[in-house]
Amino acid sequence: MNKRKLKDKIMLGVISLLAIISAIPILMIIINIYAEGLKYVNLSFLINFPPPPIGGKVGGIGPALVGSLILMSLALVIGGCIGFFTGLYLSEFSHTRLAQYAQLFLQIMVEFPTIIIGLFAYSILVAPLKRFNAFAGAFALSIVIIPYIALNVREAYKSIPHSLKEAAFSLGISHSKVYLKVLLSTARRGVLTALLIGMAKAAGETAPLLFTILGATFLYFEGLDQPINAIPLLIYNFASSPYERWHQVAWGASAVLLSIILAIFIISRLVIKEVRM
Amino acid sequence: MSWAIEINNLNVWYSDKHILKDISFKVPKNIIFAIMGPSGCGKSTLLRAMNRLLELNPNAKVKGQVKINGIDVYNDNVDITWVRRQFGMVFQIPNPFPHLSVYDNVALGPKLNGLVKNKKQLDELVKHALQQAYLWDEVKNDLKKPASMLSGGQQQRLCIARALALKPKIILMDEPTANLDPVASSKIEELMLELKENYTIIIVTHNSQQAARISDYVAFLYMGKLVEVGETSTVFTKPRHELTEKYVVGKIG
Repeated sequence: MNKRKLKDKIMLGVISLLAIISAIPILMIIINIYAEGLKYVNLSFLINFPPPPIGGKVGGIGPALVGSLILMSLALVIGGCIGFFTGLYLSEFSHTRLAQYAQLFLQIMVEFPTIIIGLFAYSILVAPLKRFNAFAGAFALSIVIIPYIALNVREAYKSIPHSLKEAAFSLGISHSKVYLKVLLSTARRGVLTALLIGMAKAAGETAPLLFTILGATFLYFEGLDQPINAIPLLIYNFASSPYERWHQVAWGASAVLLSIILAIFIISRLVIKEVRM
Repeated sequence: MSWAIEINNLNVWYSDKHILKDISFKVPKNIIFAIMGPSGCGKSTLLRAMNRLLELNPNAKVKGQVKINGIDVYNDNVDITWVRRQFGMVFQIPNPFPHLSVYDNVALGPKLNGLVKNKKQLDELVKHALQQAYLWDEVKNDLKKPASMLSGGQQQRLCIARALALKPKIILMDEPTANLDPVASSKIEELMLELKENYTIIIVTHNSQQAARISDYVAFLYMGKLVEVGETSTVFTKPRHELTEKYVVGKIG
């Protein structure tokens, strides 16, 4: 009896230790990024242009921040709409062959290397126009986030109890109103989470932007058909440069990007709490 | 005599499984009509075939006629949402929309179906439906509270109010008291007796005593077949079929 209890305790201890170890990298990343980067972040850092490689002050990441926000919003509008309706279809028409194939495709798409999606966007939206442009970036990000949003929206609708669906349909309400008015409010927690996950994904992706937006470091937004910059791309470019000044900007930009992601994550948790009551 | 509903040679399959076999019967107006039988005999399926809720199941296939006021609900020209609005439906598990308020649960159907012109009309409709469901006095000060705050019995009466707000002719009830305590159940039964003045009620029950207590007509369903149908007093005292007799005295089911 005692021996078994001891065994249990050791087992529990080992599992707890492993759980703690798995959380260490994320904590270290957060601590490291904020320790190195937070000292450069202030209001002017968020607004100003980046500094020249040598000399001058740290400057800021204004154009990249604006670019990221534009790309995120655009990707959320395009990918959000397509992803939402795809997810709805997957859930409510899951018996159709189309839905079965679509789901398989989306599951593959989740695992797709995003650099390939970037190349694809390059080949159809950059090469023909002979110019890197913001829309190509947003298009690539949309493709990246569609499967995340669709599969999560599908889960959200699937989790609605059948009895509530029956209740809604028994009222003689049309299909579209049942799905978009009655059941959407039931599933809104899951749908919002799906959109927020998509947003976070769009905020952090670098690879789809490499071949699409160029990273116009010293330009504010000038139109969807023009080059633009985004924070992840700026970090990539500046961190791999040989200049100390730009490394500092990259650290600061990393702290800003991490904050954006954490903020989205916290909002999505709060949303869940609020709706659960 | 005009009937509330006429069912002719109704057959239902789920995939290849034959669930309802050649069901035919007629339901007179303003009565309580009970459909009883052991679990799995197809009672709930029969109920859902009437308002075409069955079609939520993509594997379901229906053949036969269900007529209300002489119109076959399975006719190609008939709009399915119109069919569903002719019936009010109450389910086995009280299923108000938990995140909506008491008021909105009742108001939702009329609002989304465009049955009211303004807020005042809607207020009156909601109040009337809640009064008819014997719930008004208990909730009139809590109309804005979420429906999930109500007790099980209150939730079920809220579902009845939700069904009544569409002003249907027929109310379908799928074992409405199966998940309620005896006090709440008897309240629902009282309510049904009151409602039959203005509505035709078709109730599915696996409880033959409940059928005997409240219904005027009863149908006995066994393994997808209609064994017997008739006035409740006759079916319970002089059943024509041996199976019915066995079921009524509790030997099957």
